[in-house]
Amino acid sequence: MNRWLRYRIADAIITAIAAVIALIVLVRLLPGDPLTAILGDRGADPATRAILEARWGTDRTLLQTLASFFGGVLHGDLGISLSEQRPVTTVLAERLGPTLLLGSLTLLIDFTIGLALGVWAALHPDTRRARLLGLFTLIGYAVPSFVVGTLLMWIFAVKLGWVDSGGLTDTLLASDAPASAVLVDRLKHLALPLAAMVIATIAVPLRQQRTAALETAAQPWVLAARARGVRPAAIAWRHCWRPALTPIVTLFGLWLPMLVAGAVFVEYVFNWPGMGSLLAHATFSRDFPLVIGAGLVLIAFVQLGSLLADVLYHVVDPTQRPS
Amino acid sequence: MTRRACFTSLAAVAGLARPAAAQRPPLHATVVYAVGREPTMPIPLFTSNAEANEDLADQLFLHLAVFAANAKGATDNAMSPALAKSWHRIDPLTLVFDIDPRARWHDGTRVNAHDVLFTWALATNPKVATDTRFEPIASVEAVGDMSVRVRFKRPSLEQVYTFGFLLQPLPAHLLERLAPETITTSEFARHPVGDGPFRFERRVAGQSVELRADTTFFLGRPTISRLLFRTIEDPSARVAAFITGETDVLDKIPVQSLPQVRQRAGGRVSDPGSNVLVYMLFNTHSTADSSKPHPIFGDPGVREALTLALDRPTIARTTFGPSAQVPDAAQSQLWSWITAGTVTAQPANVARARTLLAQAGWRAANGDSILAKNGAPLRFSVLYASSSAPNNTIALQAQQMWRAVGVDAQLDRLEPSVVGKRVGLGQFDLWVSRVGQDPTPSSLVQSWSCASAQQPGSTNRAHWCDVTFDRLVTTATTAKDQPKAWRAALAEMAAQRPAIFVAAPGNPIAIHPRFDNAILWPSHTWLSLWQWRVRPSAALPRDQ
Repeated sequence: MNRWLRYRIADAIITAIAAVIALIVLVRLLPGDPLTAILGDRGADPATRAILEARWGTDRTLLQTLASFFGGVLHGDLGISLSEQRPVTTVLAERLGPTLLLGSLTLLIDFTIGLALGVWAALHPDTRRARLLGLFTLIGYAVPSFVVGTLLMWIFAVKLGWVDSGGLTDTLLASDAPASAVLVDRLKHLALPLAAMVIATIAVPLRQQRTAALETAAQPWVLAARARGVRPAAIAWRHCWRPALTPIVTLFGLWLPMLVAGAVFVEYVFNWPGMGSLLAHATFSRDFPLVIGAGLVLIAFVQLGSLLADVLYHVVDPTQRPS
Repeated sequence: MTRRACFTSLAAVAGLARPAAAQRPPLHATVVYAVGREPTMPIPLFTSNAEANEDLADQLFLHLAVFAANAKGATDNAMSPALAKSWHRIDPLTLVFDIDPRARWHDGTRVNAHDVLFTWALATNPKVATDTRFEPIASVEAVGDMSVRVRFKRPSLEQVYTFGFLLQPLPAHLLERLAPETITTSEFARHPVGDGPFRFERRVAGQSVELRADTTFFLGRPTISRLLFRTIEDPSARVAAFITGETDVLDKIPVQSLPQVRQRAGGRVSDPGSNVLVYMLFNTHSTADSSKPHPIFGDPGVREALTLALDRPTIARTTFGPSAQVPDAAQSQLWSWITAGTVTAQPANVARARTLLAQAGWRAANGDSILAKNGAPLRFSVLYASSSAPNNTIALQAQQMWRAVGVDAQLDRLEPSVVGKRVGLGQFDLWVSRVGQDPTPSSLVQSWSCASAQQPGSTNRAHWCDVTFDRLVTTATTAKDQPKAWRAALAEMAAQRPAIFVAAPGNPIAIHPRFDNAILWPSHTWLSLWQWRVRPSAALPRDQ
């Protein structure tokens, strides 16, 4: 197992390096240039452009860019953001926290409540409640997240005034406010973006789990358990759920990167200062160092998700374990 | 109860009541302003042309001179002292600015002539700045510790503006030990130290920047204690935040949200006008060979026809609301003083447009609805940035209106940086552009003069050149009757039709009703924000 894991980790690192190289090449192929995006209305004569390009490193060849980037990575330096004029690592660090908070809570709800509802729907396939559940979650999945987000904002922030319309915190909250006030403030700001994310995503794990559980529910061992008089709850969790986990593990691995970049529109609507909106902005303004830096984080999460999924396969499916 | 006891009780009540009124805690008036883009670099000369950065920089750093109340244009007599307590003229080419000796940086250091010289050196350092507006200045030198002498290359009526307003001094004592190109990544850029009415308090990444009043500000203690710039990118979220009371000020209000916003603001929506101009620029040169005229737009008659075919007032109002005006030349509402307070344009005339196109040889052929000439259809592309919803509205409406006269406009909606690249290379037919104009019309030379047409990388994207216009602009910069002189220059531009001027939008701004003395400026809107006041009876918890 250890040898397999070491091999798998090495594989992930090599794949990540290849992905970063591909990203740098692709970014350089993007039409438009950062200088034009940054200068905006103001022109610049060729001499000034040359000075600025040299200063910002946008005149480097591909090889120079690769060497500079990987050299910097070894020292924890991802360069300077062109649009923000600050170290990329600083900008990413500021945005990663809010993103992980929103993304991890979304995943947590999707993969707990979503999976539980999926199993429940599989065990009650022909009931009206199961059909309604399927219908509502599908609608949530089908409607774009920014529409869901805007609706939630207008209902709960503007009309009812229960929560704030956006942001991560109330920046007017006194720095010496009691912990309870800080907690309430956090929850008030988190509620709507989290609800929008969950509404937009929960249908996938729920339906995946339902389908997988329906298949296992027809297996002979489940029928045998029923014949033995095993309690329905035990049948559900012991005999149906665990064998139906394999596709869910795959899904989890694929969804882990959503932690980082899966909430662009929700972040935009709710002014949530996360990585998704940062990446979208950076791409828009051709802020290449920031795009590549954010891409590196994303690639790391993809590799982590894939690695985690492989490990979980071994846990949930004994036939996958190396001898 | 004895009489004495009664008196004692009454005195006690009175004594309690009086101090309660007198001891009411002082207001800490707060203004929360939502901006669409995070101000990450509010340092003059380094603001990267971002509006939010410039607005924030205006609160932190003083100009030597600002616009006087009811100023029209940017002539010397329209300016009033700020960081400079006065200025005097030595000769038509020389001005001396005297810095107010009371002025201090927020760390307590006195502002002096060395700060001005240091900033001037930065402004002319090609590693730092790209601002061409300082071109008329020949030299700047110190006269003693508190004065600077500025020499100009030629006489102008706007010398105070050119130096005194455009240059916002930076603290030399904090910056001169840094290499100029490292200032933006320095600690100073994270925590700027200015000399304005507000000092930098903190930045919460992606959310807000907080400023606090400088209670020792030499021009008077600010009546606003705290100023919060909140970043809210989504326009509808900005509206929601204003309606819920999370923010106090809302500008760039979407047309459809105006009624709701007006209701929330207690009808208090002001429109100081705006410096924005929206136009569709003709490329009069061939995209294949710039030495040759454009096959369609090289003909002034076709340019006029395409202009007359559009119902510009409808386009302007549906896109920007009822306060939008339509000019015939490059004139935003900021320069409405040139034309006696309004900006007006020639009305649409579809019949005349058809006639002009026919005269230019564009006729219906083979029953096709699109006109043609020598077998080539009257077809061109309209290039615009996908990030702008107004651009899209304008392009779609123009497309429909042109189709009615047999013109096929193909919409080319691309990312802003791609649009910028294409425009820079001259690879466009018609470009929907939006520009924020400077306070003075003499800035027209940057984008509409023959000199800028020859200058590589200038903002004269279509390389438009009209020597008559140049001559009229030169005359206007020194003319006694400024409105008349500038009217003549703009009339020449309108006659030559380098672009279709679509709209001079207004800038409706909603302000929470608790504020008094909320003066707004058409450009640099928030310059007087430190003098706003909150009515104590209407104060919110965040003002306490």
